[in-house]
Amino acid sequence: MRSDRPLRSSTWSLPAAAVASADPSVETVDRPIQAPTSGAAYFDAALRLSAIALLLRPMGSWLVRPAILAIAVLVLISPRLLRSPLMWGALAGLTAIRIAEDWPLADNHIYLLGYWLLAVALSLRASDALGTIAFASRWLVGLAFAFAVLWKAVLSPDFIDGRFFRVTLLTDPRFGAMAQLIGGLSREELDANREALALMPDGAELLDPPVIHEPPRLAMLAKASTFGILALEAAVALLMLAPAVRIQVWWRHAALLLFCGITYAFAPVAGFGWLLLAMGLAQLEPRQIWLGRAYVAGFVVVLFYGELPWAELLVEWWR
Amino acid sequence: MSWSSRRRLIPPLLLTVVALLQIVLARTANLTAWKGGGFGMFATLDHGAYRGVDIVVDAPDRSESLEIPPSLEIAAARAAAFPVDWLMRDLAEGVAARERRYERAVSRVTVTAWRADFDRATLRASERPLRTFVYDVP
Repeated sequence: MRSDRPLRSSTWSLPAAAVASADPSVETVDRPIQAPTSGAAYFDAALRLSAIALLLRPMGSWLVRPAILAIAVLVLISPRLLRSPLMWGALAGLTAIRIAEDWPLADNHIYLLGYWLLAVALSLRASDALGTIAFASRWLVGLAFAFAVLWKAVLSPDFIDGRFFRVTLLTDPRFGAMAQLIGGLSREELDANREALALMPDGAELLDPPVIHEPPRLAMLAKASTFGILALEAAVALLMLAPAVRIQVWWRHAALLLFCGITYAFAPVAGFGWLLLAMGLAQLEPRQIWLGRAYVAGFVVVLFYGELPWAELLVEWWR
Repeated sequence: MSWSSRRRLIPPLLLTVVALLQIVLARTANLTAWKGGGFGMFATLDHGAYRGVDIVVDAPDRSESLEIPPSLEIAAARAAAFPVDWLMRDLAEGVAARERRYERAVSRVTVTAWRADFDRATLRASERPLRTFVYDVP
């Protein structure tokens, strides 16, 4: 059961080991990091990861960026501000301005970030902060994935027939290493395919069009990516939106962690991955220690995915 | 239901309303699926890399196709992502103002938004116009 105690900043206290004392006569106990004993620990961890994500991927123009970065720093260093609905409300407002300032160019995870920051601000004013944030987090993740599945399975004919991944693997430089590593294309074949897929003006046709080289491994990769990602997203949506009495809650987290572990190895949107992981962490109960560790580890793994060109390094090594 | 319980519904409801609106705009006004908060990213090839705008500037002594200058890249990206009157007009006005700054004659700016279609079998790409907007410079 979650606590009904409101999470006001006044009720927050630092663990003894974390309090640095200026007086050498005062003993501080050097304790190892303890497993969380309350859901509030995961709640705080989720808020801190959200603030770290804001710092790792600064967003917006000069109008909002400095303020977002400053608030993210402040909530990280001040336990009182970490629990301040005003701070998180301000972040939600600044995110809304960032979306509006060049609408419709903001990516979808910026919208999700805005809803999440609003949910945090509202939960910090609720009598049951932990229950409120867990509820909002579960529904936000579930609905985002449900709409993603709707677009892929119903509204976009070029996804379900495989065209999206066939073209993306060949033309998007961010997926080039994957096409070589798993799809079996050589660098030369990849370059030739990109040239062959260059855009033609409306109605124009080449007399002798170049042939697009799609080896069976690449076709299989495109098919597996198409149906694999669809199945995984559908699983996350269903598990998040299904009532807890009907499913093992553990499966929700397993599906979300699996999605982040696979998707962000290739998709170049670490910010989305961090946000989902912070939102997953906010749903945990105190006893779910291993899941808590898995979410934090996932956050670090996505960081490495984003900063380390692991697929390109593997392609080089493979040659 | 108390206000405390009700307010936890606000973020999910907001997400749902925005996502449904995005679907409506994508189906009726050519908003790209990747943008607008509908979570259609990585679902279709109809995105920024395969959308664009062509600009033609006319004056009594010229008719010229223009490359998008860096100062108008954001306006062009917005018009390509959502080719509606106000965004295409923003771009056309920007083009006209820039031409005047460089003391080049301009009486009309024609903006055409297009997207790429990929053949299901051969994957060959071709441009398909989405919308053309003509701006008569006052």
